[in-house]
Formats: sequence, structure tokens, C-alpha cells
Amino acid sequence: MTSHRYVYGVVDGDPVEFETDAVAGADRVYTISHRRLGAVVSDIDTTDPEETDEDAQRHDDILREIMIDRDRAIVPMQFGMAFESDRTIKNVLRGARPAFRRAMNDVEGRIELGLKVVRNEDAEVDDDAIEEAVAEELESIAAQSVPNGLFSDRLVLNRSYLIEREDREAFDEAIARLEEADSHDEVTVRYTGPFAPYSFVDVEIGAQR
Amino acid sequence: MFVLDDLLFRPFVGIVDTLHTLALDEMYDIDALEDELKENQLLYEIGDRSEEEYRERKEELEAEIEIAQEVHERLSSGRVEVKS
Repeated sequence: MTSHRYVYGVVDGDPVEFETDAVAGADRVYTISHRRLGAVVSDIDTTDPEETDEDAQRHDDILREIMIDRDRAIVPMQFGMAFESDRTIKNVLRGARPAFRRAMNDVEGRIELGLKVVRNEDAEVDDDAIEEAVAEELESIAAQSVPNGLFSDRLVLNRSYLIEREDREAFDEAIARLEEADSHDEVTVRYTGPFAPYSFVDVEIGAQR
Repeated sequence: MFVLDDLLFRPFVGIVDTLHTLALDEMYDIDALEDELKENQLLYEIGDRSEEEYRERKEELEAEIEIAQEVHERLSSGRVEVKS
């Protein structure tokens, strides 16, 4: 039974459809629309998918393909949103229409990038000075930024940045300057992305999946 | 002082039970294990941990998280047997 639908995100306007390695072994993503909003989905046989590394990667890859390769704005869902039927999805699109519209405005033309600054083993670093240097380089370029959890003692900084696509080069250059800074013997800079802007979208999807 | 009140006003078996629950909570701290899982990934990504070390630690941590989740489920359903 593959009557359930796994949702990657929500687009505005023309439907998205292509063949790909999708979550849980599906081989195609397509769009279920309500008026102009469309949920990008693939078929699945459960409403509670297990988050394996491979499927989490497929979820990310599909969002990236829509956003970067196909140049479409998409409001991303976190991994794991699966619904019982097309009707349930249309109800969600109808019910959360204003929230999706607002989120669409926030993400249109923008990408998310991640930065982690990791203290090298046994190095002693001035966390405040590093935070200050990073903020000075990046905050003026970014449209928004949010802190993420410091899940390791080695992490000095962990932030996500939302930037306009046309500012990507300026952002890359600023990161390169940080990597070349005096402190580079003490820290390692881990720069990731682009991602769909998960960290900047706050759409809660209701209970009746 | 939730713990103190709890200890003072519950009978002896209750004290053992409470201490045991607190110890289990600390031993099976899911958030701490998940943080360690993320740290393992990060250290692998920046080249501080070999692929073999990374995979081995990942498997260990995932198994520990599974056990911790089971323990917490049992704690919340009161099915953990307390032996003194």
C-alpha cells in the first residue's frame, strides 16, 4: 500500500514533478495542489517514516534540487511529515494558507547556509573574540541569522544564516577571510549548505495527518 | 525542592524508588547521548575522527539511545522493578 504521501515542502504556482530517488524507496516526486499552493510529495506506505541517514539525505537532496537546480522557492518541511491521503494534504494547504504565504515571502530568493567554528583539540581560544569577528563579517550580508545548539564542548559557534542568492559570493568571500584569520591554528571552520531554509520557517502542521 | 519534599513525604520504598529513578534518568540521558551523536558526526566531518572510529561510535551511541528510550518508556509506565 502506497496510498499515503510523504511531504518535502510547499511551492507556489506551477506544479513540480520529476523522477528521482525519493524517501522510502519511491522513484518520483510530484505535486498535490490546492489553488496556487502545492505540496511536493512522494508515495509512501506509512505515516510514521523512520529517519535513516539515507532518507534524510534524500529529503535534503530533493529540496535542494527544487530550490537550486529548478530555481523554485519552496517552504521546506522537516523530515518525517507523511499524510494519510491527498484530501488531508489539501485540507492542510487550505487551513495553513496564510502561514504558507508568509513563509513563502520569507524564503523566496533566499538560501540557508550553516557555520560551525570548532576549537581544535587542546587549543585555547577566546570565544567572545571569535563570535565578534564572525558577526562583523557575516551579519551585514545575511538577511537573518539564528544560533543553533552548542552540542559539543569543542563548538565555539554554531549559526544558520539566511541570505539572498545574489549575496552568496560575498558571503563565501567573508567565510574565506574568517578561515584565513590569525586564529586558524586554534579553530576549524565548517561551512555547509546551501540548504532549504529550514531554520527560518515556522509553519506548524496540524494533528490530523 | 521537589526532590526533598518527595523524599520526606513518601514511605521508604518511595525513597528507594525516587533515588533509583533519578539515577536511571542520569544514566540514560537521551539528550546527552544525542548531543554525543552530533559531536561524533562533527568530529568526523572535520577530520578529527576516522571513518572507522566514527561508524563504531555511531553504532554504540544509537544502541545506547535505543536502550535509554526503552528505559524512559518503562519509567513513565511504572514498569521498572526496584530491588533494594
